[in-house]
Amino acid sequence: MGEFADDYTLAELMCVVAAREFPREGVAMLGMGLPVLAGTMAKLSYAPEVALCTEVGAFDWRPKPGLTRAPIGIHDFNLNDGSVMVTDMVDALGTLLMGGNVDCGVLGAAQIDRYGNLNTLVMGDYRAPERRLGGTGGNTEIACLAKRVLTIMPQERRRFVERVDFNTSPGYIDGPGARMRAGLAAQGPNVVVSTFGVFRFDTPDGGETGSCEMVLEGVFPNMDPEIVKIETGWELAVADSVREVEPPTAEELALLRRLDPHHFYLVPGRY
Amino acid sequence: MRRAAGGRMPESKLMTEGEAIERFVADGDSVYVGYTAAAYGLCQAIVRAGKRNLEAIGGSVGPQGTFLFLGGCANRVRSGYVASALRPGLVQDMMNDGSLKYEDYSNQGIALMLMAGALGVPFIPTRSFLGSDYLREEYQEHPGGFLDPGQKWAQMESPFDGQKFVALPALRPDVAVLHAQRADEQGNVQTWGHIGDARWAYWAAKKVIVSVEEIVPHEVIANDPGRTVVPGFRVAAVVHMPFGAHPSGCTGYYDFDYAFQAATMSRINRTREDWDAYAAEWIHGVADRAAYVRRIQELFGKDALEQLRVDRGPSPEPSVRYGHTAELRFRMPEGA
Repeated sequence: MGEFADDYTLAELMCVVAAREFPREGVAMLGMGLPVLAGTMAKLSYAPEVALCTEVGAFDWRPKPGLTRAPIGIHDFNLNDGSVMVTDMVDALGTLLMGGNVDCGVLGAAQIDRYGNLNTLVMGDYRAPERRLGGTGGNTEIACLAKRVLTIMPQERRRFVERVDFNTSPGYIDGPGARMRAGLAAQGPNVVVSTFGVFRFDTPDGGETGSCEMVLEGVFPNMDPEIVKIETGWELAVADSVREVEPPTAEELALLRRLDPHHFYLVPGRY
Repeated sequence: MRRAAGGRMPESKLMTEGEAIERFVADGDSVYVGYTAAAYGLCQAIVRAGKRNLEAIGGSVGPQGTFLFLGGCANRVRSGYVASALRPGLVQDMMNDGSLKYEDYSNQGIALMLMAGALGVPFIPTRSFLGSDYLREEYQEHPGGFLDPGQKWAQMESPFDGQKFVALPALRPDVAVLHAQRADEQGNVQTWGHIGDARWAYWAAKKVIVSVEEIVPHEVIANDPGRTVVPGFRVAAVVHMPFGAHPSGCTGYYDFDYAFQAATMSRINRTREDWDAYAAEWIHGVADRAAYVRRIQELFGKDALEQLRVDRGPSPEPSVRYGHTAELRFRMPEGA
């Protein structure tokens, strides 16, 4: 996609990289927040064939030409325009998701841990919270039931933690075999994109074997893997050869910025 | 109006918002408020009516639920997401200090529970929540909750193949408040666009109060029955309320009013003074939604709301066709 840009934020690069990592085909269900922005960008660039769906009930959204913004949240009416089906939440999170039709869930969260479990509900002990959050919405069932998960979240030590305060949304839970013991299907290969780099999981078969831990696979330009480790709350596994992720191209950045004209997603100056 | 052929005309369910809330919302009720078919006007009417001790329900409870929490109407919430608890503020404080009790589910959880309530079955299985901390034994009794332990969910195995699942109890809210595009006076409601968990709330709630952008002749409903989400015989009250979802939107009518939200609502969850000022102006300071609309026009200009009208654009097919052949060229074969 042309020349590299040099004036971008890490959050912008995170969204661009998430778009690059986006599944090229199949059905993707977009969680709240950055997944909507990254998914819209992917659909308009790398993944024109992917079927974007929301839990509110928009299926296979095909943005109309002249789209002026990524949907603002998953309730935006521009999701009605261009979808091949608009329906309800039982169809979306039941028939579509639990029925086994979602290839990739795209999620954000407040916390993630070494096994890719997410927390969307509470900081601290559930019974005596330091702070309640908005809640999980559909994050829980998407994590339980999608065939794989792409997670997008800014990297900070307090958010990349050894163990999530409350596992709302199971990844590989506590290691190999745990998903199956819980009654969930194998899942993966899962991917995490942060503001520092790209992570995959050491699991060749979606949770049966391997360490099932997050592994640093690529770092953003000028980012030292040692810094990534400092902003990770556990002894982070690092791939044998860590690639350097390409910076955004001018074209990628222009598309991303065009889709967020009101800064609903990327507040200038944050990250 | 013409009488329906061969029978009595069904009674009109049309009434004012004040009458609907007074007649069909009782103190202590569980109230579906949801997120997608957001009945902002009806929620404000509940605050105006001073209802107390309500439970708010929704897979997600949108910003209109904030009115019920901060207005002293609801002290319990059963939901997967509470919009006003996303950031620090009064609603988080209420959840911490016990003045707002909560039972955490998820969007799918509540949607399925409403569906089970609508179907009349006692529970519904899901494979969501498996492997999560929601099910941990030590979290089943917690200070923030209001359900008896054992009433929230149960882990089970399928009697047929042994698969693990979570049984969710059927949910039948005492009342649902919803906003839709149109209905006739009988309360036959039509809606379109993505609808979240509202579809099943129409069928699960014991009483349905719906506000609509337009009251249309019954013929409009009958001409396109596939768009009807609930028949009038399940609806307690229908309220004619243009801009009843404002400052959220209504598919095909008007879009979300982010400018108004930023100007008037962005601070209501921060301090009691901010909430009181909002409530004084936009809830108690207006008699009903029509007065609210007039107030917006006074403050922000005659066409402030008109600018939110959506561009419907050209439609390739003006209307959906139904119909049938009146005279069948068919005779049942002898001996069939």
